[in-house]
Amino acid sequence: MGSLKHLPPGTIMMLGALLLPVLAKFGKKVPAIGALVLSSISFLLFCFTPAGEFGNVELFGNTLNMVRIDSLSRIFGVIFHLAAIMASIYALHVEDVKQHVAAMIYAGGAIAASCAGDFVTLFVFWELTAVSSVILVWAGEGKGAYKSGMRYLIIQVISGVLLLSGAIMEFSAGEGLLFNKFSSEATYSLTSLSPGAQLVLLAFGIKAAFPLLHNWLQDSYPKASVTGTVFLSAFTTKLAIYALARGFAGTEELIWIGCAMTLFPIIFAVIENDLRRVLAYSLNNQLGFMVVGVGIGTSLAINGAAAHAFCHIIYKALLFMSMGAVLYRVGTTKATELGGLHKSMPWTTGFCLIGAGSISGFPLLSGFVSKSMIISAAGEQHMFWVWIILLIASAGVMEHSGIKIPFFAFFAHDSGKRVKEAPLNMLIAMGMAAALCVGLGVFYWGLYALLPSQPMIEHMDSHGHAHAEPYKPYTAPHVVMQLQLLLFAVLAFVFLMKTKLYPAEKRATNLDTDWIYRRFIPTGLEGLGKVFHTLDGVWRSIAVSGIGTTIATMGKFFNERGVLGRPWATSTMAFWAAVLLGAFLLIYYT
Amino acid sequence: MNDEHKTESNDQSWFEKKANVRLMIIGLIVTCVLLVLAEFTYTNDHAHFPEYENFMGFQAIFGFVAFVVVVFLGMGLRLIIERDEDYYDG
Repeated sequence: MGSLKHLPPGTIMMLGALLLPVLAKFGKKVPAIGALVLSSISFLLFCFTPAGEFGNVELFGNTLNMVRIDSLSRIFGVIFHLAAIMASIYALHVEDVKQHVAAMIYAGGAIAASCAGDFVTLFVFWELTAVSSVILVWAGEGKGAYKSGMRYLIIQVISGVLLLSGAIMEFSAGEGLLFNKFSSEATYSLTSLSPGAQLVLLAFGIKAAFPLLHNWLQDSYPKASVTGTVFLSAFTTKLAIYALARGFAGTEELIWIGCAMTLFPIIFAVIENDLRRVLAYSLNNQLGFMVVGVGIGTSLAINGAAAHAFCHIIYKALLFMSMGAVLYRVGTTKATELGGLHKSMPWTTGFCLIGAGSISGFPLLSGFVSKSMIISAAGEQHMFWVWIILLIASAGVMEHSGIKIPFFAFFAHDSGKRVKEAPLNMLIAMGMAAALCVGLGVFYWGLYALLPSQPMIEHMDSHGHAHAEPYKPYTAPHVVMQLQLLLFAVLAFVFLMKTKLYPAEKRATNLDTDWIYRRFIPTGLEGLGKVFHTLDGVWRSIAVSGIGTTIATMGKFFNERGVLGRPWATSTMAFWAAVLLGAFLLIYYT
Repeated sequence: MNDEHKTESNDQSWFEKKANVRLMIIGLIVTCVLLVLAEFTYTNDHAHFPEYENFMGFQAIFGFVAFVVVVFLGMGLRLIIERDEDYYDG
């Protein structure tokens, strides 16, 4: 144990993954069991690794800190391990060894990155998560998985290159290689940061799916394999949230970036037919809450962002697991082809409802005790419009994840499809996630004990004096108001359904920013090529006709009858020679 | 069509029976009314925006209106961004 702590947490998963193909010789399902064992051993080791800085290495005269375990990296390390264990159980039936290898390297890489104390280590594991996770996208069986994976890989690698570029600029400016908060101020503007820090923020922003940089998420996650999406939903984006919380807490612009992230995906989710893609938009919306928390930057807000990441990983994995089970049994997650599955998949339906309740923030479920911390942090700072936007976003979450996902998959109009319930390993994984959703909602103090600091909230007393007290999620006003928001949203759904105003699900492709690089740029380049081709043709024909005209004109002057080509009489030549001689003499003597 | 209808009526679950759907909707409405009335049972001294949070039924109205607006915005967005299902494959 003493020397193991100097290795990045997750190393055993990354190295052990390389041995999984060997295990396949003992049985097709042995690698899957191996992956579960690796995740569990790594979790145990991580629990026993003390807080502190380990694995210091000298590189070109600089000290690298490969392992830094403090309260922030601890909570992300714990939840990443739990996600890896649950997803490994969910994937126990998978016989495709490469998916297990990729998943273990990916999860291990994310865990190692969340405990990296310097930029070099962070960069290495940042890129490792990109190249390993793309294999899970490529493992998807639907059409377009390969191309989607390529787009995913290019964008993820660009993020890594930006991270490295920013880190090098910071190093050149004498800031060292250690990864800490970029500003010493509690709150500050993005413009006050160095160009290197801004590049690093852009790198994090790509992985955190900031608005306009987001569409790799909705493009690739729904195309990954049934089990691959569950892994993908847990790590990449939350690693980015961790990195933002570590480096950019209190960056004011993040508040508005986060607000935009909470809002635009909920509108896209309303009209999306593929329920796994709806969940990808929903994931984007949830990341927005966390980015707002990081931007506010107060103790309560950072605690809220960390707590929400923790709860979100579990309920989002649960929702992706339930839709994965539907995809596995029915062969599609398109809402137009689903409905009535509660009759044949009752357990999956029940677990999905718990996930839907959690993400919506129903009391006694996990989302309630974490999201409310971020909304309260906005209130504590008297950010009225941020508070309003987060409330709108909360109603939006109720629409797409609370109602749309379970309703159109398991209830709505009976599609007539009668399938088998999900395999036992999938049900166990979903059951674990559902139990954690309830457990975190009821025994919230256990989660709060894991947070970077004890969550405190400031209130004004009747004399106008501010005083802080421990944050309590279960107060009568909070529970009643949250239930009002959610249940009246459900009432609105009933109203829209009864009046037939709710838009019917339709088989369609809805454009998003990926249209720019999938259609606009290729079509634009093609059009530009055509313009150049036409211009080139015109220019060439002008040149050819010009040359032809010149040759014809020259021919006219120089042929045997032309002015310059015909033979001259000797007398004419003698005359002009005499004229020239006369002119020369005249000039010479004057 | 007849076959589909037959399948539905043959194995209707509890959630699909019209009477039960009506029961659930009535239950929802009653719960919603009780939730608004519940505001009489406490005083909210820790409101960050008392003028809104202590306005009776504020979050109830907010939840209903926000939900409807989000859905309508989605319908509007559909007019702009909706394409054929094989748009990128064609």
